[in-house]
Amino acid sequence: MARQTLLFALANVLIPVAILVFATGFFPYKPFMPGLATFEELGWEDKFGWTEAPEPKFDKLVFMVVDALRSDFVYGKESGMEFVQSLIRDGSAIPFTAHATSPTITMPRVKAMTTGSIPSFLDVILNFAESDTSSTLAAQDTWLAQLKAKEGGKLVMYGDDTWLKLFPDFFARADGTSSFFVSDFTEVDNNVTRHVPEELLNTDWNAMIMHYLGLDHIGHKAGPRSPNMTPKQIEMDGIVQQIYQAIENEDHLSNTLFVLCGDHGMNEGGNHGGSAPGETSPALVFMSPKIKKITEFRERESPIDGKGEGGFEFYKKIEQSDIAPTLAGLLGFPVPRNNLGVFIEDFLFFWDDASDRIQLLLRNAKQMKKIVEATFPSLNFEDKVRDIEKECGGSLNSGVGLSCKWQGIVQIMDTTAMLHPKLRMDQIYWFSRAAQEIMSSTASNYDVPRLVLGSSIALVSFGLTLIALWPQLTSISSTGVFSTLTLALYGILMFASSYVEEEHHFWYWITSGWFMYLFIFESRKEWFRKFAFHPAIMLLAIHRIIRRWNQTGQKYAGAPDISHSAFLQGGNSLVLWSLVGATYMDITIRLSRHIARSIAYSTSENSAALSKVAGARDVEPEDTDKDRFMGTLAVLPLGVTAFVFKLAFTARDAPELVQGIGAGMLVFVEGLSLVGVARMVFVGLALSASWLGMVEWKMGRDKRKRGGSGGGGFAPALFDIITLLLITQTRAQNIPLYLLFRLQIFFLTLLSPTPLQTTLTTLLLTHVSFFALGNSNAISSIDLSNSYNGVSGYSILAVGLLVFISNWAGPIYWSLAGLLLLSGATSVSGTAAKVLDEREIAASSRTWVAQEREFLEKVVETESEQAKFLSDRKVEKRAWESWKRHVGLLTLFQAGALVAVMGACTVLRQHLFIWTVFSPKFLYAMAWGVGGHLGVSVLLGGVVWGAGRL
Amino acid sequence: MTPTNTVTDLSKGKPSEPPIEILNNETARIYTHIHPVLVLSLYALRFKAIVADPVPALTNTLIPLGVMQIAFAAICLPPTGSEAVVAEKRKPGEKKKPGQGKVASAVNGKVIPAFLSLAISTLAATPILMLTLILFGAPISTHHWHTLLAAAHISLLAVVPLIYVHGVDGEKWREIVACLLPIDEVYGCLIGSVLGAWLGAVPIPLDWDREWQKWPVTIVTGAYIGFAVGKLVGGTLLKGKKIKFE
Ligand SMILES: [Zn+2]
Repeated sequence: MARQTLLFALANVLIPVAILVFATGFFPYKPFMPGLATFEELGWEDKFGWTEAPEPKFDKLVFMVVDALRSDFVYGKESGMEFVQSLIRDGSAIPFTAHATSPTITMPRVKAMTTGSIPSFLDVILNFAESDTSSTLAAQDTWLAQLKAKEGGKLVMYGDDTWLKLFPDFFARADGTSSFFVSDFTEVDNNVTRHVPEELLNTDWNAMIMHYLGLDHIGHKAGPRSPNMTPKQIEMDGIVQQIYQAIENEDHLSNTLFVLCGDHGMNEGGNHGGSAPGETSPALVFMSPKIKKITEFRERESPIDGKGEGGFEFYKKIEQSDIAPTLAGLLGFPVPRNNLGVFIEDFLFFWDDASDRIQLLLRNAKQMKKIVEATFPSLNFEDKVRDIEKECGGSLNSGVGLSCKWQGIVQIMDTTAMLHPKLRMDQIYWFSRAAQEIMSSTASNYDVPRLVLGSSIALVSFGLTLIALWPQLTSISSTGVFSTLTLALYGILMFASSYVEEEHHFWYWITSGWFMYLFIFESRKEWFRKFAFHPAIMLLAIHRIIRRWNQTGQKYAGAPDISHSAFLQGGNSLVLWSLVGATYMDITIRLSRHIARSIAYSTSENSAALSKVAGARDVEPEDTDKDRFMGTLAVLPLGVTAFVFKLAFTARDAPELVQGIGAGMLVFVEGLSLVGVARMVFVGLALSASWLGMVEWKMGRDKRKRGGSGGGGFAPALFDIITLLLITQTRAQNIPLYLLFRLQIFFLTLLSPTPLQTTLTTLLLTHVSFFALGNSNAISSIDLSNSYNGVSGYSILAVGLLVFISNWAGPIYWSLAGLLLLSGATSVSGTAAKVLDEREIAASSRTWVAQEREFLEKVVETESEQAKFLSDRKVEKRAWESWKRHVGLLTLFQAGALVAVMGACTVLRQHLFIWTVFSPKFLYAMAWGVGGHLGVSVLLGGVVWGAGRL
Repeated sequence: MTPTNTVTDLSKGKPSEPPIEILNNETARIYTHIHPVLVLSLYALRFKAIVADPVPALTNTLIPLGVMQIAFAAICLPPTGSEAVVAEKRKPGEKKKPGQGKVASAVNGKVIPAFLSLAISTLAATPILMLTLILFGAPISTHHWHTLLAAAHISLLAVVPLIYVHGVDGEKWREIVACLLPIDEVYGCLIGSVLGAWLGAVPIPLDWDREWQKWPVTIVTGAYIGFAVGKLVGGTLLKGKKIKFE
């Protein structure tokens, strides 16, 4: 068996290794060019008479970001932004739809807009780990850095503190707001607006950045059609008007360029992160009275209807990264070094002299050429004319094509023939746009050998687990067949993009089948008279409610579900809170029983008397009424605090869920410090765990002294403590799910499944609960609302852990519940059984030892005689053996799933959906593998299993 | 013919009656092979209409399907309580009915039970199957007719022949649900249709945007295909095997 342990350990070590190797190949670290760009020599200076860069047209910038400002919010016929529309008609504003690439979340979008580069997908992770210094842009070349480096450059910033994190110590004055409560539609914006009048009078800054979050919050809360949406647009429009009129009237602002844009859009559900047309189509408007100069002959109709899929394409569509080089040209600074954007053609008309226009574009192209050169070091990007007829004929791969297009620029710049300037500009645009497309496409960025290596390591891990489990796998059972079917089907479905998006359907579907299987399996042994109320049928019925709780995935996102139904919201929130209260009560009662048991023990004075009773090796002191009262008294404050925290948190985070609650109560909870209360809950949980752990350990030690076996009561106690933690990290509308989970545990104990069945049930329910709690394989479904519970500053470790717990709460719950089922610990020996429901005791009277014995009789029939007379040490050893098998099977699935996901990402790396479907899935697979499997199933599971053997 | 993983020889299980045999005459032997072809052809013929508008099309299809199933039962299968006739060699004389006119006997002994099975499965099995479909994830607040019709189709496919041969004896049905009966053509129909309907749910979430992905087309299709496969496999390859769980 030592060999098996070694193989399991190795397989589990290989899982993170595989993930890491694959990730570095899939999300290669993009080296960026350090330092600020300067105006460099272009060549052809004499020919075109260039002595300096083209004269800047503006000297100040107001950059107003409205989070999630989708194109139609500004340009559409239902928009509330009438002033902006009047500017468009008037010719003082040029509108665009700025294409935002996936992932459409704020931090990577700010990076794209400020550096002009296309942020790597790793920025998603960094977005959630915002304080990570390697993700700051302090060392990178951005238009902020360029403006700051100018003579007298001074920046001010108001709004989303993402900017303060990305640009530490950049701003002379700043006031950051964080999107802590999504329900905050007004405060978060008023905190920005209140600085505006004052800053418009200040003459010292050359760039003012504002980032409004309210509109995004409205989207998250109630979608783009929320009744709050138009008033918010009108509010934003008013601010635009205020600023624009200051630019018109104040002398010191007369050369100010005013940019209004969204960082990303939103889908019909009001969320973002993916690449639906709504999410990738934010608005972008350049405004200034001076713009009239170039809009004379333009179409200036507004409002208009959108084109394209979903109708989100208004006016000209440009790339979001084009903002950086355009600002560079208009404000007269060098294009940031890592820029992949192209100067927007419309603004060329500011310069009357064609040679100025050519110079602008050439500077842009030359800067991009440096990146291209670094990417294709073997190709020729010289500024000398050479003969390219041979290498540039026929179809070209991306690198050679770029090299040929660059040579085209060199030739057309060099020629002495009289050419229309348009020809030169077209040639430059031809190169720049091709470079933008090729460099932003991902294909050239994969490190395929690493992808293959990572997948192979996962495959080795799978193989090792298979070898280790092989002796036990050779005897075929129907459960084994069902498990194999699950893994095989899962592996296949990972290659279908729609099943990655709709993964929950797979788990819901196979789990329904599994419960029906359990029904048939049990019916073969014994026919249940009221078969409609058979425990397995009840499991199926509860499963049906659970899968309906939260609508998740892409295809039916936003379809009706229980958690958003009128049944639990608005005036009916009392129903929700009764269910939530019942869940808290259930856990509090359970905890109080654990405590009562521990009090009974510690007050019985070392139970010296007990040990004298002959044959009483497993006897524990009975808990009296007094103990139970004391236990309740000790736990009640914790339960109540946890409940009050949930109420107070929800009152701020989702006020629509507390409408039915009495006003007096709300006033009380709203006065509370959330951080303080959350800390009280966490400390209370830690204290309970340590107290119970200590007593249980002593109890087990005493019993062993008397020759009995260990207690085993700590595992269920720990489970209940962890459940309370999980509920604290769960949104209020999902908390009743834990009641349903508890019911499922109860019905599972009635079934008393075999160990292999328990393992498979655990695997299925961990996944079902993950999706039932509203998660999916999309970035936009990550729940961040509980990530700052009890955290006042920013601690990446604490916040990361809380994010993981709140999103993987279901899997954590079921991993541990599965262990309790496995050990039969829900009905541990002796008085511990009293801790539990009497129904549960009656239902599953089998002790852990008995079940284990039965299990061993099945596995090693030859040992069946000895099994009845096992020594404690042997029981102990066997216990760990069965845990090892459980974890081994879970490892087998995990490694198999990783092989499938990595295989899909490798094979389909050119697939249209690679960035929108498969990459997020890989991120989730990383979290499942490292957090869900190693962290929870192996580590936390090991702790709880060990706790059961104290 | 080797035993597969989940199936073992009869000898291992507890003593139970033998699998149902097709009636021992030429017509029965031929029609039993034609029948699944006819059923699948009927479905193939109606498929376009079912996809276009499931409720009326599925309703209309019920009648020919019912007729076919009655015909199948009456022509090929021994009616309930007549095992003696089938397995005459093993249980001679038992429950043998007094001689009647040939036509009258055919009507009393075959067609009436067949109609009865149809009625029972429609009235009793369909609601149970509909509830099962809902437990398995069928829409609960909408599409009630769709689900009911899907259940009706499954019950006609799977349950009619079973009731015809086994009757409504509770003990018998307990064994049927618990997969304790030996596999035969009729039991194969049930297992095939039910598994087929379950597997039929797999294509629904795919983003192919096909009309036929809508509820309950794939489920019904799965049931029909499963019916044919189950009948074929149950009547040949796995005949007489018992499903083994451990
Ligand atoms: Zn947002």
